[in-house]
Amino acid sequence: MLPEWLLRKREGEQPPAASSAARTDPARDHALTTVLDRLTGGALERRDLPDGWVTAIRRLPARGAEHAAFLDAIDERLRAVLEARGIHRLYTHQAEAITHALAGRHVVITTPTASGKTLCYNAPILNTILRDPSTRALYVFPTKALAQDQLAELHEMADELARRSGVDVGAFTYDGDTPQDARRAIRGRAHAVLSNPDMIHSGILPHHPRWAKLFENLRFVVIDELHAYRGVFGSHLTNVLRRLQRICRHYGSSPTFICSSATIANPRELAEALIEQPFELVGQSGAPRGEKVFLFVNPPVVNHQLGIRRSYLAETRRIASEFLKRQLQLIVFAQSRLATEILTTYLKDDFDSAPGSADRIRGYRGGYLPQRRREIEKGLREGSVRAVVSTNALELGIDVGALDVCVMAGYPGTIAATWQRAGRAGRRTTRSAAVLVATSAPLDQFVVRNPSYFFDASPEHALINPDNLHILVGHVKCAAFELPFTTTEAYGRHDVQEVLGVLAESGFVHRSAPDEGSEGLWQWTSESYPADAVSLRSISSDNFVVIDTTNGADVIGETSFTSGPSTLHEKAIYILEGQLYQVERLDVDGRKAYVRHIDCDYYTDAITYTKVTVLEAFADEPPKSRGEVHVSSRVVGFKKIKFYTNENVGSGELDLPEQEMHTTAYWLTVPRGIMASLPYAPDDRRDGVVGLSFAMRQVAQLLLMCDRHDIGISIGGGELGEEVDPARGALEPARLSDEPRIFIYDNYPGGIGFSEPLWAMHDDLLARTRDLIAGCECEHGCPTCVGPIGDTGPLAKLVALRILDRLDGIKRT
Amino acid sequence: MRLPLADQLRDVVGAVPTPARDPDVPRVEGGSDRLADALGGEWQEARGRRYLVVDRTYAAGYRHGREAIMDGMPPPEGIWPGLHLLCGGDLLPSENSRLQAVCASEDPRPHVRRSQRLLFVDLETTGVAGGAGTYAFLVGCGWFEAATFRIRQFFLSSYGAEPALLEGVTQLAEEATAIVTFNGKSFDLPLIETRYLFYRMATPFLELPHVDMLHPARRLWRAENDRTGGALGSCRLSVLERSLCGVVRDGDLDGFEIPSRYFTYVRTGDPRTLEAVFEHNRLDLVSLALVTARAAQLIEAGPEAARTAPEALGLGRIYERAGLVNDACACYTRVPRLSGDVVTRAEALRAYAVICRRARRYADAALAWQAILDLKRSPPRLAREATEALAIHHEHRVRDLLAARRFALESLGFHGTPSRQDDVRHRLARLDRKLARTAAGPSTPLLPGV
Repeated sequence: MLPEWLLRKREGEQPPAASSAARTDPARDHALTTVLDRLTGGALERRDLPDGWVTAIRRLPARGAEHAAFLDAIDERLRAVLEARGIHRLYTHQAEAITHALAGRHVVITTPTASGKTLCYNAPILNTILRDPSTRALYVFPTKALAQDQLAELHEMADELARRSGVDVGAFTYDGDTPQDARRAIRGRAHAVLSNPDMIHSGILPHHPRWAKLFENLRFVVIDELHAYRGVFGSHLTNVLRRLQRICRHYGSSPTFICSSATIANPRELAEALIEQPFELVGQSGAPRGEKVFLFVNPPVVNHQLGIRRSYLAETRRIASEFLKRQLQLIVFAQSRLATEILTTYLKDDFDSAPGSADRIRGYRGGYLPQRRREIEKGLREGSVRAVVSTNALELGIDVGALDVCVMAGYPGTIAATWQRAGRAGRRTTRSAAVLVATSAPLDQFVVRNPSYFFDASPEHALINPDNLHILVGHVKCAAFELPFTTTEAYGRHDVQEVLGVLAESGFVHRSAPDEGSEGLWQWTSESYPADAVSLRSISSDNFVVIDTTNGADVIGETSFTSGPSTLHEKAIYILEGQLYQVERLDVDGRKAYVRHIDCDYYTDAITYTKVTVLEAFADEPPKSRGEVHVSSRVVGFKKIKFYTNENVGSGELDLPEQEMHTTAYWLTVPRGIMASLPYAPDDRRDGVVGLSFAMRQVAQLLLMCDRHDIGISIGGGELGEEVDPARGALEPARLSDEPRIFIYDNYPGGIGFSEPLWAMHDDLLARTRDLIAGCECEHGCPTCVGPIGDTGPLAKLVALRILDRLDGIKRT
Repeated sequence: MRLPLADQLRDVVGAVPTPARDPDVPRVEGGSDRLADALGGEWQEARGRRYLVVDRTYAAGYRHGREAIMDGMPPPEGIWPGLHLLCGGDLLPSENSRLQAVCASEDPRPHVRRSQRLLFVDLETTGVAGGAGTYAFLVGCGWFEAATFRIRQFFLSSYGAEPALLEGVTQLAEEATAIVTFNGKSFDLPLIETRYLFYRMATPFLELPHVDMLHPARRLWRAENDRTGGALGSCRLSVLERSLCGVVRDGDLDGFEIPSRYFTYVRTGDPRTLEAVFEHNRLDLVSLALVTARAAQLIEAGPEAARTAPEALGLGRIYERAGLVNDACACYTRVPRLSGDVVTRAEALRAYAVICRRARRYADAALAWQAILDLKRSPPRLAREATEALAIHHEHRVRDLLAARRFALESLGFHGTPSRQDDVRHRLARLDRKLARTAAGPSTPLLPGV
């Protein structure tokens, strides 16, 4: 089956414009319309066609600018600089944000890409520095590259200020790359310090006396890309900010926080959870926007039985070529580094083969040298690079100018990330387009077949759990190192005095008795430097290192302790930068995995037997519950899965030690009555429950805005902890209780806060799971819905739907 | 069932509950008097908090190994006039000029005191990690006064007393015109300055010239240190005191034990294990004072005072850094007369040759380079440098192209870096071109492979 646009007649096709330089905006609009017409069959009106090649078309209307006058509070000198840069009026959201910040109110700004967001924080900060040169500001970016990018912008403003009014504003990045001899100067001279959470955690806060000038005069803290701080990273950041605010109190300052975020459902809630202070929300952009056409494309099914679709990469190539042929500038987002390289090669073959035309197509990903990246960014801004194929490296705010088209090869995983990528295309006045090409992964299929989920529902909730004891304790140590706790001080949600009491048992701190009328203090009594033992990007610093023995012994990667056995067992395929490695030996005690380079066409997926025992139910309203659980899991084998088709091409058995943890979970109990009433054999009933859990996991991941390994799933029996069932897909038939429970647990010791929202979203979870299974085109189950047919029985899909129907029936009665 | 918070915490921390360790009991009874008695100190009070001060006076005849306090006594002005020469090149220009002024007893505040005072400082700390959670629990200070050496140790008997203690240190530091440490530039001074910053107090050390003896000692006695068992290239005070003063410490504790002894005191209130820490700190201060004296006396006495060849070489280097080229040359030429090992002699010749070349005394330089080649088992890196220098010398000064070519060929025999080897090949090619032009070309063929 060929896509519609290939079947259409070729007449009426416009010849490509002779030169991109001579092109005018109407010409570009026309070219864009032509391609979109070809892709959609000529009708650009809104429509949903779950079974079509283009499953959804949306036109997002153009919007005019909403301006506000310059604020009186803005200093004349700053105003002159802004006017020199062509800014004569502010957009409404800028005026609103600046007003809040200057009044000392914490503010979070959620506006789209290219809406003048940086001015929202640079203007109040520069303004305050002009009024009081002792003012200091700290900028926090999730990556070093972003800090560099923002530094360039800040320098331009600062240079202009210096030229016009002789005011010297020092702005510096401070990160692991900052030379030692520059650090002292930065500590004393910088008005604005641009850094990242890891550096603040281990390089600034523990040395706060050397930064006394900064902390005494800290008026603003900017946190950019707020949505990046969810899950474990966000939970750590909250603790870093607790420590920061504690140190500010010591020096008598209380900074105003200015945060910016991509569109997520709960920006204010996330900001308030991270900073633990009330926030103002500026959510309405006043920036103008041209019309944007958004398409969802689903590659056609080529094998109905196995539910296999045509390669999404080939589909992406064809679509990208259509735009490129008409001189439109585009960005293609791929899901992995490997896919990025493949697509770059395809497009170069198609367009860069002529001599002298080299470098119109570029790849872009982490691992490229900075100089090369700057060159590509510049080429995009100037138009000499016509297409860039990128990983999510370009998703965050690196300035590449505004492009005509964004093509996404695969669903980026969250609504927020999808909008952010789509925002890479779009100019202020002309039309742009975004195309999402689905892979055969369940999430992708769900999204393209249910467009309203993406377009109409609110984006995901970002969740954090800063009081997870595994995260909290490390930061309490850091905080005690930085400033002794008083015996009446509070920190976080738990009783920190009790935490300190336990730390005292291990000799980290000592409670000195109050004497002569002063408070007692918890004195740090250890030689260690506790920040070194806390990594912000994982729960524990107890990691497996991956050693490549292909040529010698190079450490090429790290994996957390919990996911070590399932990703680094013997014969596992370990993927790094598109390179495949096979694990030859796993040294569990030494925390080392020895790998060797290999060429193969499959990856591996571990089979884990997991037993979940309920320790305490926090809320129990059958069929939904949530609470604290004990999870013990053992990797017993693995499957080999072929790339792209997800076919199961082999398996193996393993014998690895059991892992245990306490965490939090949500669970669904299928009532005895429903199980008994199902007119199927016990094995088929079991398949139905397994299939249901497989689908629920996909939907939970979607709703929670989390990565696949953030949650785990397990099926347990009616009796507490009596049953052992495989997590998904069974190697051996397990006995199923007559009242099975499906657990979705946080795959981190202590939990990361997923169970509560899942419990709250219970109805939505089941409804969307039903949509996923019922809407799938396969006959008896496939990797997109209830799992591959080889793993679950032939009736899994049917039985899973029956169970959902009956659960729904209970609700109605 | 779910565990109580404390047990969950113990799970996370990996702690075993120790009910006996209630933080308020069981402290050692007897309290503050007992502490003062055990450590031989007196209580001081400031800002309403008390800390312990231990004072000791070492009489002129007190022996520290072979040396006595009187051997290390500075002149009546309180400072050795040549002390600043030890730091040539180590200090920023502003600090160097302050130190010079102090050494010349030209203190800008003459009414404050009659003579200069050097304050020797050594800290005992809760670790070496740095950062706000590392602090000095013992600040040891020493100074010469009225034919004695005096030591005052400030002890942080309770954590809350730190600002008071720092105030006491400030008062003593204000009496000083310069401070002397061992490795204090990178460790002791930044650490104690951080404590002042922590409490928003002014640090008294910022304006004081600071002589860090690690660097001059390394220049003077590194060879000595290597020979007597210090780690190669390092220079530890304990090794120096043994080689220079003949001190053998009896039952001294290892540095790594020190923090844990203090933590034991904090938890139990028992000062018994601390006495050894105090004594260790005092011995370090006496050694530091005598090592400083030895270096300062040496530099004042001149090149003839060096007892060994390595010492003469080191002294020469110090003079050279301080800009005293004649004294440096005198030291280098003294080395052969002290019958040092071949490396020391070759190093001295090289240093001498470089000074001659800089002074455009090319013939003298060539003699020194040649002398390096004449030494048996001269270190290859120096021999290669000598052949290169001689090749240049013969090509451009003497204009003896054949000799230049001979030296260039010789230097190819040593394994230099690829770029150096390339330089030599270029030189050879140029020499061959020049030789061909003079029509008296070499009978030997060009170098194989060139």
